[in-house]
Amino acid sequence: MNKKTIQFMALIVLGALTFSSCKKEKEEENDEEVITTLTVRLVPVSGGAPLEFTYDDADGPGGNAPTQQSITLAPNRTYNATVTLLNKTENPVKNVTDEVAAEAAAHRFYYTAQAGTNIAVTNLNNDGNGIPLGITSTWTTTAAATGKIKVTLRHYPGTPPNKAAADLVTDSKSSTDIEVEFNTAVQ
Amino acid sequence: MYKLYAVLVAMLLVHNAYTQACNLQLTGHVMDSAIGGSLAYATVRLVEVEQSIITDIKGNFEFTALCPKVYTLVISHVNCATYTQSITLTKSVHVDVDMPHTYNTQGQAVVIGTKERFNTGFKKELSGAALQATSGTSLAQALSTINGITLLQTGTNVAKPILHGLSGNRLLIINNGVRLEGQQWGNEHAPEVDPFMADKLVVIKGVDELKYGSDAIGGAILVEPKSLQKIACKTLQINTGYFTNNMQYYTNAIWEARLLKKPQLSYRIQATYKQGANSTTPNYRLNNTGLTEANYSIAARLDKTNWNTELFYSSFYTTLGIFAGSHIGNITDLTNAIQAKQPNPTFTGQSTYNITRPRQQVQHHTIKWKSVITLPKSKLNTLVALQINQRDEYDVVRNSTNKKPQIQLNINTLNQDVNWEKKLTPYSNTTLGIAATQQQNTYTGRYLIPNYLAYTTGLYGIYKWSKHKWDVQAGLRYDNKVINTTRLRINNNVSSFKFNYNTYALSTNVGYKLTQGYTTNINISHSTRAPYVNELLSDGIHHGTATYERGAITLTPEQSWYASSNHSYTSNNSKLVISALAYVNHIRNFIYQQPKPENPVLTIAGAFPLIQYEQTDATLTGTDVQVQYAILSTLNITTKYAYLRAYNNTTNDWIILMPPTTASTSITYTLPNTSAFTASTIGIEHTLVNTQHRVPTKGPIQDYKEAPQGYNLYNVQAQSQVKLHNIPVHITLSVHNVFNTAYRNYLNAFRYYTDEIGRNVALKLHIPIQF
Repeated sequence: MNKKTIQFMALIVLGALTFSSCKKEKEEENDEEVITTLTVRLVPVSGGAPLEFTYDDADGPGGNAPTQQSITLAPNRTYNATVTLLNKTENPVKNVTDEVAAEAAAHRFYYTAQAGTNIAVTNLNNDGNGIPLGITSTWTTTAAATGKIKVTLRHYPGTPPNKAAADLVTDSKSSTDIEVEFNTAVQ
Repeated sequence: MYKLYAVLVAMLLVHNAYTQACNLQLTGHVMDSAIGGSLAYATVRLVEVEQSIITDIKGNFEFTALCPKVYTLVISHVNCATYTQSITLTKSVHVDVDMPHTYNTQGQAVVIGTKERFNTGFKKELSGAALQATSGTSLAQALSTINGITLLQTGTNVAKPILHGLSGNRLLIINNGVRLEGQQWGNEHAPEVDPFMADKLVVIKGVDELKYGSDAIGGAILVEPKSLQKIACKTLQINTGYFTNNMQYYTNAIWEARLLKKPQLSYRIQATYKQGANSTTPNYRLNNTGLTEANYSIAARLDKTNWNTELFYSSFYTTLGIFAGSHIGNITDLTNAIQAKQPNPTFTGQSTYNITRPRQQVQHHTIKWKSVITLPKSKLNTLVALQINQRDEYDVVRNSTNKKPQIQLNINTLNQDVNWEKKLTPYSNTTLGIAATQQQNTYTGRYLIPNYLAYTTGLYGIYKWSKHKWDVQAGLRYDNKVINTTRLRINNNVSSFKFNYNTYALSTNVGYKLTQGYTTNINISHSTRAPYVNELLSDGIHHGTATYERGAITLTPEQSWYASSNHSYTSNNSKLVISALAYVNHIRNFIYQQPKPENPVLTIAGAFPLIQYEQTDATLTGTDVQVQYAILSTLNITTKYAYLRAYNNTTNDWIILMPPTTASTSITYTLPNTSAFTASTIGIEHTLVNTQHRVPTKGPIQDYKEAPQGYNLYNVQAQSQVKLHNIPVHITLSVHNVFNTAYRNYLNAFRYYTDEIGRNVALKLHIPIQF
């Protein structure tokens, strides 16, 4: 081998050696879009202790299975309801409700009660355009019964979102961020 | 429809038999005007019959079986200006050509370089006018004009090539001699290559793939720029064009020049800019489907007596909009979107170049240093290449003030390759090589694949022998791949894995020339592909498909045994050209995604179906046939047919997402030259894509929607050349999907949501200016 060949070889080896970790491996950031926890806080209008019911999947999708409470309410009462969303995978825990409120024109909660549940959800608060948002609402119970309520949060990804009052929960303008069904009991 | 094609082919064959035989000869002798002797090893090309001959040691060449008509003779030689002559043949003719040879070449050094025997297994090429006609499209779209190649798409902007049913990591892309190391593992990751880099695109399956890896189960795609050694004068090439469908324009400029004659120093600078607005289907325009692309490259080469060296840098940068209506929250959303005939008007109708979320931003840098040292009777090639790839994905987010990407992936790759080529006898040569790769992947944001460091070391040897009617090639390769992965979860929860794979490959090809025009060859290849990190360690929701994907660390390498038989026939008069390929690819431990409906993953947005990477035994069998026939000297007809069956031998079922049968026919008419227009052609093309009936039907449901109906597409294309101030301007005017047919494509992930794009009229200019 001539001298030039050896020089070439040396350069190649040098190139290989200098290839060391030039970028440090960072701790993973969790999905900013993850919502781990949904809490419905129900304050009896007539007074009394507030009630809280939670769906919780602290480690996000996959991993440990989520836990979920059942909703138990007293008959013939009215409650002021507020929904709180958290992302517990972030440190400190992020309040996602604030983000939803800030982007109210692109979000909407739906509360769907199975027939015979004897809980009526009305009076959803509106976004800036006067279209239901549903972070707060009024829950009214009648006679004792058991059933299910599905809480759905829909996100409108379009620009503009084109959110309208008549939109159904399945409207193709929006997609599902949350879909949690609670077992309910009025007793 | 297939019967019609069969009849058509039969008619062509019969017609050919009755056509008067062409038996004229064109012989010639090439002289070197600088040294006054014969010029050996010059390339003599007869354009009309697409034949090239290398002049023998006495400078002689000979073409036989020619028809009485006008031929264009193009003679080129390293360091010579190319010589072109038009010859009207009425009887057999002998021509003497005096080449303006600028200086005496360095004998052996150059000849070894140009005479290297190429892969003789499966090989298909796209170059010249056919490649120019694809200007302004993506690499995958350009490749899809080759019979046997189809597209794997995600919407309108993201496309990957599929060769004989295999794509991604199974199909290597070699960009200017460097194995592309980007993000090929993802279906929604398009290759990071500017097709304007290429002077030709070559698809191979056979011995030569061993130079690039033992894992080319599907083959390799070579993106090859014109050799800098062949630059004789200053040339500026301008390519520009406009597409009506998405108001896309593009401009590309290539400047190449030789600075020094001896030693030769040549360079090339190339830049491309491309911008497109939202694409439109026949019935609606798709919001957020714009794209931009800005690429450039610089290359320089120094040729000395006993060595040459080449430096190359390229930068690729693209932003690709993803159709906004494809954002799916859960399986119910997906079902609803599939049931809708067309997307919600919120996601259609905007005509803008603006790109919002979701979108991908990808940049890829390549630095390459390649050298060749000529030793007595052999040469030493060295290559060092660094690739830096960054991919940013901007998901749909809740917070509109969020400007961050949700996933950022960085892959840095360093390659070293040293090989030694030796001419053993006048008929044989051998190549021995060592290749090493170091790769580092890091990510920030959402988890998709872990951080990893991978080291690959390979050894290969190739032997090629060719004498008389025989051509034999054989090669071996061994690779060791070590992958160390780390995932740093929040709260210092670290998970690390170490993988070590040994992979082998071998390939052999035997070619035999039965007659002057009939060549046949048989190729047998074995290749092994180690599982990729995403197949081992994926773990998360895949939004486009509303599934939860999970890898398996127990996966073992895929082992492929591939056999193919290729026949190519050119009739004596060159009017009929047939090429037929049949292949079988048996893949043990074929990695695929198996739905696991019994284990749904519960999330706050509902239950997601789990899809797990598993292995099976698969067999892919297929055939490609292409028939070209010149009905008249001015009228050409080409028919292509590609058929594939892909079977899962364990579940006794078809494999999902494999290309359906396709057939196409094009008729091209060459118009007579006028004083203003030359080389004018007009052509129509019909493409039939069959419904994919070979879809999995057993076990858990694998697809949410039936494979879409087959479709017929009609395209028209006209090309011509005009001289403006002595500059030849090549013009292409084409209409894709003439009848604005609405259809969906089985191999497009967005077949669930939208139709394919509608009519697209394109005007393209190619202007080479010589100084």
